[in-house]
Amino acid sequence: MVKFTADELRRIMDLKHNIRNMSVIAHVDHGKSTLTDSLVAAAGIIAQEVAGDVRMTDTRQDEAERGITIKSTGISLYYEMADEALKNFKGERVGNEYLINLIDSPGHVDFSSEVTAALRITDGALVVVDCVEGVCVQTETVLRQALGERIRPVLTVNKMDRCFLELQVEGEEAYQTFQRVIENANVIMATYEDPLLGDVQVYPEKGTVAFSAGLHGWAFTLTNFAKMYASKFGVDESKMMERLWGENFFDPATKKWTSKNTGSPSCKRGFVQFCYEPIKQIIKTCMNDQKDKLWPMLSKLGVTMKTEEKDLVGKALMKRVMQTWLPASNALLEMMIFHLPSPSKAQKYRVENLYEGPLDDQYANAIRNCDPEGPLMLYVSKMIPASDKGRFFAFGRVFSGKVSTGLKVRIMGPNYVPGQKKDLYVKSVQRTVIWMGKRQESVEDVPCGNTVAMVGLDQFITKNATLTNEKEVDAHPIRAMKFSVSPVVRVAVSCKVASDLPKLVEGLKRLAKSDPMVVCTIEESGEHIVAGAGELHLEICLKDLQEDFMGGAEIVVSDPVVSFRETVLEKSSRTVMSKSPNKHNRLYMEARPLEDGLAEAIDDGRIGPRDDPKVRAKILSEEFGWDKDLAKKIWCFGPETTGPNMVVDMCKGVQYLNEIKDSVVAGFQWASKEGALAEENMRGICFEVCDVVLHADAIHRGGGQVIPTARRVIYASQLTAKPRLLEPVYLVEIQAPEQALGGIYGVLNQKRGHVFEEMQRPGTPLYNIKAYLPVVESFGFSTALRAATSGQAFPQCVFDHWDAMSSDPLEPNSQAGQLVADIRKRKGLKEQMTPLSEFEDKL
Amino acid sequence: MDLESNYEIHRTADYIRSNNFARVALQFPDEVLKDSTRVAKALRNELGRGVRLFVMADTAYGSCCVDEVGAAHVDAECVVHYGHACMSPTTTLPAFFVFGKASIDVSDCVQSLHHHLSSNNKPILVLFGLEYALALQDIKSAMAMSLPSTGFSPMIHYAEVTSSVVNPSGDRDEISEQDTKDVDLNCDEKDKTSKSEKCCKLGTDTIYDLGGLKWSIPMDQKINDYLLLWIGSEDSAFANIVLTFNSCEIARYDPERRQFLRDFFHQKKTLKRRYYLVEKAKDANIVGILVGTLAVAGYLKMINQMKELIERAGKKSYTLVMGRPSPAKLANFPECDVFVYVSCAQTALLDSKDFLAPVITPFEAMLAFSSGKEWTGEYVMEFRDLMISAPQDINHIQEARFSFIKGGYMEDKMKDQTNEESLALLESSKAALNSIDRPSNSILFNGSAQSGVDFFAARSFKGLKMQYDNPSPTSYIIGRSGRAAGYDDEKKLR
Repeated sequence: MVKFTADELRRIMDLKHNIRNMSVIAHVDHGKSTLTDSLVAAAGIIAQEVAGDVRMTDTRQDEAERGITIKSTGISLYYEMADEALKNFKGERVGNEYLINLIDSPGHVDFSSEVTAALRITDGALVVVDCVEGVCVQTETVLRQALGERIRPVLTVNKMDRCFLELQVEGEEAYQTFQRVIENANVIMATYEDPLLGDVQVYPEKGTVAFSAGLHGWAFTLTNFAKMYASKFGVDESKMMERLWGENFFDPATKKWTSKNTGSPSCKRGFVQFCYEPIKQIIKTCMNDQKDKLWPMLSKLGVTMKTEEKDLVGKALMKRVMQTWLPASNALLEMMIFHLPSPSKAQKYRVENLYEGPLDDQYANAIRNCDPEGPLMLYVSKMIPASDKGRFFAFGRVFSGKVSTGLKVRIMGPNYVPGQKKDLYVKSVQRTVIWMGKRQESVEDVPCGNTVAMVGLDQFITKNATLTNEKEVDAHPIRAMKFSVSPVVRVAVSCKVASDLPKLVEGLKRLAKSDPMVVCTIEESGEHIVAGAGELHLEICLKDLQEDFMGGAEIVVSDPVVSFRETVLEKSSRTVMSKSPNKHNRLYMEARPLEDGLAEAIDDGRIGPRDDPKVRAKILSEEFGWDKDLAKKIWCFGPETTGPNMVVDMCKGVQYLNEIKDSVVAGFQWASKEGALAEENMRGICFEVCDVVLHADAIHRGGGQVIPTARRVIYASQLTAKPRLLEPVYLVEIQAPEQALGGIYGVLNQKRGHVFEEMQRPGTPLYNIKAYLPVVESFGFSTALRAATSGQAFPQCVFDHWDAMSSDPLEPNSQAGQLVADIRKRKGLKEQMTPLSEFEDKL
Repeated sequence: MDLESNYEIHRTADYIRSNNFARVALQFPDEVLKDSTRVAKALRNELGRGVRLFVMADTAYGSCCVDEVGAAHVDAECVVHYGHACMSPTTTLPAFFVFGKASIDVSDCVQSLHHHLSSNNKPILVLFGLEYALALQDIKSAMAMSLPSTGFSPMIHYAEVTSSVVNPSGDRDEISEQDTKDVDLNCDEKDKTSKSEKCCKLGTDTIYDLGGLKWSIPMDQKINDYLLLWIGSEDSAFANIVLTFNSCEIARYDPERRQFLRDFFHQKKTLKRRYYLVEKAKDANIVGILVGTLAVAGYLKMINQMKELIERAGKKSYTLVMGRPSPAKLANFPECDVFVYVSCAQTALLDSKDFLAPVITPFEAMLAFSSGKEWTGEYVMEFRDLMISAPQDINHIQEARFSFIKGGYMEDKMKDQTNEESLALLESSKAALNSIDRPSNSILFNGSAQSGVDFFAARSFKGLKMQYDNPSPTSYIIGRSGRAAGYDDEKKLR
C-alpha cells in the first residue's frame, strides 16, 4: 500500500499523461475482484492517517457472503516506474509517477448496468479470462460494451495456478489452451472493431496479454521473461518477446531456434521452454518442500527471500516465492501503463462517442484535448449512497476543465434539450471529494482526466447528468449511456404497516437513484412495482430498499410479476364496425399481425415516428414487402407514440377523414396501451382503417364521439384476429461439466425451456448450453439448477424475445385464458373479459 | 304501499305550513318519479290551494343533491327532497328531506347484531343508510330489550340522523367563516388523523358528522377501536364511509339479503386505485375542473381554491360545466390530462376505465398538486372539509419530483417567481416556438402539452380553413336520408 496525503494525490492528478482510468471486466467468477485485491495490496493509495487500519476491499457485507461483486468500486493506485522500464515507452509522460484509477465491476449479468457505468468513465479495460473456462457469455457482453464505448482492452489469462496445481497440464497443452482463449477473445474484439480505435486485438508477444494467478498474487507478461533472457541470448527485448510466443521452438541441445518442432525430445516451444517450465519447476519444488534445491534456483533468478519467509512450507512458501519473483502488481500495472491510453490520448477519439453537440465547438475541442483550462465537461455516471442516510455522492469523470468546491455548475439531465429549460438546474458544488480507499478526502478542485465525487448535487441529479460551467449555456450534454439489459423482473411491494407508506415512497425514490437499472413504478391498481434486470438484482435492490432506504421498516413483497404483451395471429375474420355514442359516426377496422421482424425494427428505432417518410417507405417495401404507397399512410405508432403497433389508413375518398385522424390516433394510443385481453400493452399489431362514415356536422364528429369509438373498434378488431398473449423469454447460457448435463436438461424441461445449442468447449470437459426459458418459469431456476447439478451449473439469463403462447386466451380453460384471468384479477379488473359484442356494433 | 308513512306527507305538510312557504318544489329521483303525482296530490289535499307545488325530475347533477338551480326556475321557496340524499348543505334554499322507508326484518337484524356483539370484543358503532332511519328506532328498542340481560350495553353505539331539514348556509362568505376549518393535511402528525372528518371536540366526546349521520365517541377512544356496522345497501353512502374510515374494521348488514358481509376487498382496491390516480395526476400539465354541483354550499370557493392550487403547482387549469360527466363528453377535451370533479361527497368518486383521463376528487387534487405532500391513508370526501381560508404556503422542496408513472424523476414546470410581467409574453412566445420544434405526436398523445394553445398547435386538423384553395362553388349533391342507425341507401345495399 502506498501512503499518501490528499495533497500529494492531488498533485499527480494534474499530470494528465500519467493517468490511467481503467475498469476490470470479466465473466462472473473469473477472478476480477481477487486480482484487483492483489493490485490494491501492492499499490493502493490510502490516506496516511489510516494506513494499516482497514482492508481496502472491505465492501458490502452481502458481497462477501455471496462471493460476488454487486456494486462497482473505484480504487486509486499509485505506481512509480523505473527509468529502465520506461525506456521503451513511446507515449508522452511527465516523470515516472503514475496514477491508476481502477474500477472493479461486477461480472453477473444482472448487474451489467454497473459495468456500463464503469466503462463510461474509464479509457481502458483489463479483461480477465479464466484460463480453463475460457471466454464466456458475459466476457463477450462486456467486451462488446467496452468496444462500443471505445475502451481499449488488455487481456489477462487468469487462474494460472489451476494449470499447475489442479489440472497439472503439460506445457504444450497449456500453451494451446492459452492460445485458444486469446484467439477467442480476439475474434470478439475483431467483430466489434472500430477504425478510430485501431487494432484492439491483444497479442502476448506485444505485451498486451498477461498471465496471472490472482489468488496467489503473481502474474507475468512476456516482457518480464524477455528482459530476463534478452541479455542471455544477446538479442533485444522485443525480438525475444516474439520468440516467446507462437511458432518458435528452441532446442537446448543444439541451442537453435526453429519455427517448427524438430521432433527431438529436447525441442520445445519458446513459451514452454522459458516461461511455463521454469514456473512449473519452482512451484513443484516449493510444494515438495525441496528447499535445498529451491534456494539456488531463486538466487539464480535474482530473487531474495527474507529470513522469516524461508521458514514457510508448502503452499504458503510457493505463494510467497511466486509473489516475490513475479509480483502481480508489477506485471499488470506496467502492462496498463504501457498499453492503455491516458485520458488525453483516449479523449481524442472518444469525443465523437461522448459529445452530442457539434464536434467542432469549444466543448468538443476541450474534451478532445483534455484541456484543464477549457470549459468544464463532466459526466456523472452513478450516484453512490453516502453514509448519512438518504444522501448521495454524484460520481463521475471530468472530461475537460476543472471542477472545484463551491463552483456553480449547470446540470443537464437526461431529458435536457439545448436551448430549453427542461431538466436543467444551476447549482453549486458543495464539496469535491476524492476517494482514498474507504475514506473520502475533500480537495479544492479536480482537473480533467480524473474521476471525482461531488456533494450537494444529489437532489438535482436523478441518475446521470452532464455538468458544465454556469455560463456555458450553449454546451450540449454528453451522450446518455445505453444499457444492455432491461428491467424485466418485477415485484409489487407494499408496507406491512399502512402508515409506513410515506417511508416506502421515499425509499423507492432513493432506490431509483442509487441504481441505474432499477425502475420503480406504480400499477393501475395502485401497487408499487420494483423492476430489476434479474432475480438476483431484484433481491439486492429490495434488501437495499428495506435496510438502507426505509430504515428497516417491514415491507411485503409479492411473487414476481411478469408483464405480457397482446398480439394477433391472423387478419381479422371480418371488418368490424363500431358506432359512436351518438350513433352518427361509424368506424370500420381490421387488425393484422405485423410482418416478422417489424416489431423488433420498431423497438430498435430503425423504423419510428420521426423517420423520413421516404426512408421508412423504402425499408418497409424492401425488407417487409409493403406497398410503397401504403407505407406513406401510416398514421402513427403506439403505445406512447413509439411502440411496436401502428394504424394504417386504407380508406378511399372518405370525407372529413383528416378531421378525425387525431381522435382515432388518441383512441389507438389508449387502446394499444391496454389491450382487450388483460390490459397489457399490444405488440406487433397493425390496425387498418377500412372505412369511416361521419356525420355531416362537425359538432357531431368531435373527439368525444370518435376517441371512445376508435378504442372500441380497435378492441373489436383485435378480438376478431385470433388474439394471443406474448410472454417474455430469456436466453439462458449454462456452462457445466458433462455429468451435470442430465440435471440441466431435467430442470429445463420441467420449466418449459428448450435447448437449442450444446457445444463442448474445446480442450475442456465443459459444455456450453444455450436455451430459451420463459421468464415466468425462471423464478427459482438458478436454485433448482444448482440443486439438480450439485452446484456445478450456473445460469446467466438475459431477456431475448417475446414468444407467442399457443393456447387461445379466449378459451377460459386454456393456459392463456387462465393467465388472462389471473392478470385481470391482480389488476382489479372484472375477471371476465369484455365480450366482443360490447365493442362491435351492428348496422 | 302506504303513501302516507312512506313519504311522510303529514310531517312535510307541517313543515311547509310552519314556515309559511307558498311555492314548494318537490324533487324526485328517477326511481320514485312514478309516485310523484300521488305524493303531490296528497300534499295538496293536506295543504289546500294556498301552496303551489312543483315536481322536479331529472336533475342535472347527482339526484342526491338538492337541485337549487332547478328550484330557482320556478321561484320556489323551499325544496322537499325525496329518496336517497347526501345531506350536503345548500346555498340559498331551505330543504326538507324525506328519506323514504325501506323494509327491514327487525328481528333478524337484531339477532345478527347480537351474534356480532358476542363474537367481537370491540365496541360496535351502528351506522345506517338514511332510508333505514325510521326502522332504526325499532332496532334500538329491540336491542335494548334484550341487552340488559347480557350486559353489553356500553358496547353498542348508534348514529343519529342529524336533521331532516337543511337550512341554507346563507351568504357564501359566511359559510367559509363558520364551516371551514383549517384542515391540516400535514399527515406527519398522527394525532390529527381524525380531524379531517367533520368532527369537533365538545366536552368529553368527539362528534362525527358525515353524510347526514351524526355520532359521538368518548374522547379517550379512537374511531379505529370500533367495529363500524353499516345497515343498508352497498351504495355510494357506504363507499363514502369505507373510504373515510379505511383503517377501521367494517361490517355490513344487507337488509334485503338478510346477511352480514365482512369482505370489503373491493373497497380496499378502490382506495389503492385512487392512490394510483393521485400519482397519475401529479404528472398532469393541464387540469380540467369539472363543476359537478351548483348547489352544495361553498362550491364556488372550492373551485377557486382548486384554480389557485393548480396554478401554484405550475399547471394550467380550465373550468368546465357539463352536467353529469360521461366518457363522450370528457373525450371532447383530450388536452386535459386529468379532471378534478367538484361535487357532493357521494357523487365524487368517478372511476370508470372508459374515461380517457382520470377524474379525481378535490382532496386527491390537494395531495397531487401540493408539492411535498404524501398520502398516509386517510381520505376526505367532502370538499367542505378541505377548504382553507388563506392559501397555504407550499414549502418549496428543491428536489425534482419522482413520478411513479414514468418511474423516474421529473421536473415540474414551476412558475418563476422572479418573472416580470413583461417577460411573460416573451416566455409564452418562446414556448410556442419551441412547441413547433417538438414532435406533435408527443404533445397530442403523451401529455407533454403545457396549455390548450400548445395542444391546438400540434393538432393535424385545426378546423375549417378560412381561405379555400379553390373559391369556385362545388356542385350541389344530394346527401343521405334516413336514420343514423341505418341510412336509406345502406338499407338498400343489404
